Amino acid sequence: MEQSNPETPFGTQEAFQTAFAELYPRLVSYARRYGASFPEDIAQEAFVILMQREVRVEHPTAFLYGTVRTLSLTERRPMKNQNLSLEAVAEPGQAARAEEMVLSQEVRERMRLLAPTFREALWLFVVEGLSIREISDILAIPEATVKTRIHRAKAQLRDQLNPSGGTHAQA
Amino acid sequence: MPRLDPVRRFEPAEDVQLRAELRDLLGLGAEEASPATVPTPELKALAEDIRREAWRRTRTERKRPTWGLLAAAALPLLVALGGLGTWGHQQKQRADALALQAQRQEQTLQQLAATHASEVARERQAKEEVQQKLQIASKQGNRKGEPYLVIPVEKPLRVGSEDYQRVKQRP
Repeated sequence: MEQSNPETPFGTQEAFQTAFAELYPRLVSYARRYGASFPEDIAQEAFVILMQREVRVEHPTAFLYGTVRTLSLTERRPMKNQNLSLEAVAEPGQAARAEEMVLSQEVRERMRLLAPTFREALWLFVVEGLSIREISDILAIPEATVKTRIHRAKAQLRDQLNPSGGTHAQA
Repeated sequence: MPRLDPVRRFEPAEDVQLRAELRDLLGLGAEEASPATVPTPELKALAEDIRREAWRRTRTERKRPTWGLLAAAALPLLVALGGLGTWGHQQKQRADALALQAQRQEQTLQQLAATHASEVARERQAKEEVQQKLQIASKQGNRKGEPYLVIPVEKPLRVGSEDYQRVKQRP
């Protein structure tokens, strides 16, 4: 017998529908960024996995992004080499195509010049608007490492703007 | 920017400042507070489908075997092992009792053998004493003559017709 008004990770059913409406397109775009063949399916599967959790998830948004990332990379990982690290198949994805849908040409060009690890952290922090803690959960790295990557991305962006090293050199 | 997590209401000011600087470097412009997303009927239906799917999976997916199930599965084996152990213990006690009984019988036999040997030795000793006495007596008898009585018989040199005695008159 189905419960009439079950609690969701985002609170009430209305809150869940609002969160779904906001996060679903972002998660589809995020899955596409990793080159997923079926990004919609992966985003929906991530929601189902979240709703299945018996233990309450502290950061549902981070959980969804992390699940989408894992599912996308797992889909791309060769079947005969399932023990390959997910980081090893993170690049190249279809990040450019995903970025096209969100960023302008100039911003895309700046992002493309960044190192992949810095670009990943920067995308989640700036474009997706996630917190340092959430990015740490998604990428499974310490918060200090996330901060370091973002600051280095910032330094590389400054280097792009001032090739002579003016601003970055002074920082 | 998603701000949907119930526990995610506070972000350090330095992180907000860092995000603003990065947006500026990327040329994204200042972050605008986006109006609350209103879920479309299609997204609402999709969210409801996902919730139902998660609910269905929660109740239909086979759970991992719990300790109770594992204990129930192992119960026949435990009973068999217990029975075998009890039977082995009984057999051991029986073997110990038989060994003790055999040991007692052996001790009894040894005692009997020792008694018999002592009796044989005593008899042998008595026999030797008798023989010694006989030898001593024999030596003493030889000095006087034969130890037995000798009666000399004078036999006729020839057998004659009158060499008989009539004990009854002829009729």
